[in-house]
Amino acid sequence: MLNNPLIRRELIGLLRSRRSVAMLVGVAVAFAILIIARWPSDGIVDLSGSRSRDMFRMFSYALLVSVALFVPVFPSTAIVLEKQRGTLALLLNSPLSAWAIYLGKLSAVLGFALLKLCCTLPAVAACYTLGGVSLQAEIVPLYLILTLACVLYATWGLLVSTIATTTDGAVRGTFGGVLVMFILILVPHYFLQGTGMAGAEIVALLRSVSPIPAVMEIVGQGTVGEIGLSNPDAQVPRFLLFGSVLSMTFAGMTLARLNSTLLDQARAQGKITDDRSPGVKVARRLMFLIDPQRRKAGIHPLVNPVMVKEFRSRQFGRMHWLLRLVAGCALASLGLAFAATLGSEEWGVERIGAILVSMQMALVVLFTPALASGLISSERESGGWELLRMTPLSAGRIVRGKLLSVVWTLLLLLIASLPGYGVMIWIKPVLQAQILQVMVCLVLGAVFSILLSATVSTFFKRTAPATVAAYSLILALWAGSLLIWLGRDAPFGFNFVQTSLLINPMATALSVMGTSGFETYNLTPANWWLMGGGSVILLVLLTARTWWLTRPE
Amino acid sequence: MISERPVVETNQLTKRYGDLTALDSLSISVDRGRILGFIGHNGAGKTTTIRILVGLCRPTSGHATIAGVDCVKDARKVKHLVGYMPDRFGSYDNMRVREYLDFFGAAFAIPRRDRVKRIDEVLDLTGSRYMQDRYVETLSHGMQQRVGIARTLLHDPEVLILDEPANGLDPQARIDMREILLRLASLGKTLIVTSHILPELSRICDHVAIVHRGKLQAFGSLAEVTRQFQQKRMVEVQLASAEEIGKAVSVIEAAIDEADEITPSAAEAIVRFQTAKLDDDLGRILVRLVEAQVQVTQFREVAGDLEDAYLSVTRDGPAPAP
Repeated sequence: MLNNPLIRRELIGLLRSRRSVAMLVGVAVAFAILIIARWPSDGIVDLSGSRSRDMFRMFSYALLVSVALFVPVFPSTAIVLEKQRGTLALLLNSPLSAWAIYLGKLSAVLGFALLKLCCTLPAVAACYTLGGVSLQAEIVPLYLILTLACVLYATWGLLVSTIATTTDGAVRGTFGGVLVMFILILVPHYFLQGTGMAGAEIVALLRSVSPIPAVMEIVGQGTVGEIGLSNPDAQVPRFLLFGSVLSMTFAGMTLARLNSTLLDQARAQGKITDDRSPGVKVARRLMFLIDPQRRKAGIHPLVNPVMVKEFRSRQFGRMHWLLRLVAGCALASLGLAFAATLGSEEWGVERIGAILVSMQMALVVLFTPALASGLISSERESGGWELLRMTPLSAGRIVRGKLLSVVWTLLLLLIASLPGYGVMIWIKPVLQAQILQVMVCLVLGAVFSILLSATVSTFFKRTAPATVAAYSLILALWAGSLLIWLGRDAPFGFNFVQTSLLINPMATALSVMGTSGFETYNLTPANWWLMGGGSVILLVLLTARTWWLTRPE
Repeated sequence: MISERPVVETNQLTKRYGDLTALDSLSISVDRGRILGFIGHNGAGKTTTIRILVGLCRPTSGHATIAGVDCVKDARKVKHLVGYMPDRFGSYDNMRVREYLDFFGAAFAIPRRDRVKRIDEVLDLTGSRYMQDRYVETLSHGMQQRVGIARTLLHDPEVLILDEPANGLDPQARIDMREILLRLASLGKTLIVTSHILPELSRICDHVAIVHRGKLQAFGSLAEVTRQFQQKRMVEVQLASAEEIGKAVSVIEAAIDEADEITPSAAEAIVRFQTAKLDDDLGRILVRLVEAQVQVTQFREVAGDLEDAYLSVTRDGPAPAP
């Protein structure tokens, strides 16, 4: 295996880059600081080992989040970059088999990920030295779970990398998938558990795709967030099973795709309706609300051309796709509204509201970095920025056009889920004020994440690292604060959790709705001020950076 | 059509990046309807000059104007006067060619009706109408170059600046590109074209500027520049019969300097020689050949080419003043 030239080239190449060294050093330093910060400072001997366990819990969650944030970065671009540079053709024409190429790529990525895990060993050794943490029952299973999570996200990243045609598309697809597998898959179970509804068992099983329940179980918090009797002991083997099966499936799918057909992906241009017979034109006029094959009318003078360009150059930005997306959201929202009407007594309107909030925030977190992190960097990467600078468009107009393209898309998605709230107000009119507050939280959260992703975009020349940075920041802010909330009884105290949740609009919305677990925290209006103030600062920074990039050098 | 005042002018244009002088006191001018070939090695300062001209870069000193408009102070106005095609195409995914051109037309605030007409015009002018419904990212390099020129023409600029338009094109696409550029010049557009394919440039340019390490080494009409850097003239004497070669060689040897080189070719019945003699001296050599009863069917000077001139400049440094 070590004779595989790809392993040597990829792994050594990875280790030689400054970014990798910075990552390894950063991980080691961050975990050292984490342990030092929580190291007992008083002279009392902790016979119960509770302090050590607190440290171990925090360490485990932080390690888990770092795996989800950093492992997908390299595999997501590993194959698509080769495709773009033309070196994939050379690889496929070499005597190396598809299996050897795949193994080379996967081993290099995993080698690096495992090296990162090794950098955390001194920190976990410190927890172990304090006592109260078992090597066999806790540390070894934790590293086993983390290793499998690395394999799972690496195989997923490589699969997406064979499907995507651009590096930023690959990064978006990979992080989107990781987000679903890591945290979003937990959401249905959180709401359906204990209801006895159809599908509750399936979603309970599906949540084992995420390593979070397994890690919670290892650190002794397997029952946090659970209602009624549950079988927390099954989470580790379940994740080992699901993770292995999914990894093998992803690997198999990638191997099946890894041949010359990857390089032979001609794009069908389609037949333009305007050039077809009158009969076909009439038929398509009747069949299509918006015919994707019709020549578009010129951009209206009152419309920002950059906004239209952004919509048109997105794979799913065309009007017919947006309408499909909106229709899907509206159907989901109406379904929830229907469920709220029928089951309001069993579920309670608050729980329906919490599902809606979670769904909308998931949409925001999933879509915003994907839409906004390439706003400026993709132009710089493709050479379009030079052309934009050669037009009379001002920096302000470019920023407005680009932001509007994201705002409209998100707005359409959010509006599409409004009927559910309407039904809730109709069932329980007293909720009107609460729902209005929830809407404020969601809008402010969406605006903040758009501006954060767009601002990040101005600091990068390539979209893939910009997307990684945007996803990492948003996930670190929001998923990170939710992880702190998970440790709300121990090791984190009430005040610390409340302060952490202040930056989380979803937690704020859930606290407004009085959702179980969030009802004790008072997060408004501090969260609004934080989100609003942060948005204003980011907008100023974004405009200044764009102006800086458009001015003559 | 060709006016007195130059459309493009640079005066002592200098650009420094720290200790590196990318451009050193460059002064050139181009008249309306002319095609200027801008030649130099990679890193010679071509792109820096172009970027200053189109308002993307500020000079450290000196100034540049386009149609009398200062490229630094009135960068916004200059954008309307110049169409710039960089060496990278600047593709947008999922956009068809017509939509792509529509966006740039709208960015230049061309009214919608005029824009539709203008897109048709530039598509016809560049021979790209057949690809109007294709996705931009699926176009071949040659197609992209055509669309790139169409894009630069949308707002009907006076000056077109094209960075390596023939780079990577196949022979047929090169011929097509040449025809497009000549057509644009005939329409009164002023063109500045950079290229490494010098034979290609020499076919379309009427003026040439050669830059080397940031300095202008030669500037003038194509004929002037090639003559300026040609140290010796190559003369070719075609004889009626190969038997007369010996007689012809001895007559020529007696007439030229010792250091001058003579190359007889019996197979072609040609005698070639290189000399620094002027036209009058060459006339006298012909007379002597005729007096010696050598049957000369052709007596002509072989013109030097741009490549020779360019290599002469970049190998030996600046040439002697003409």
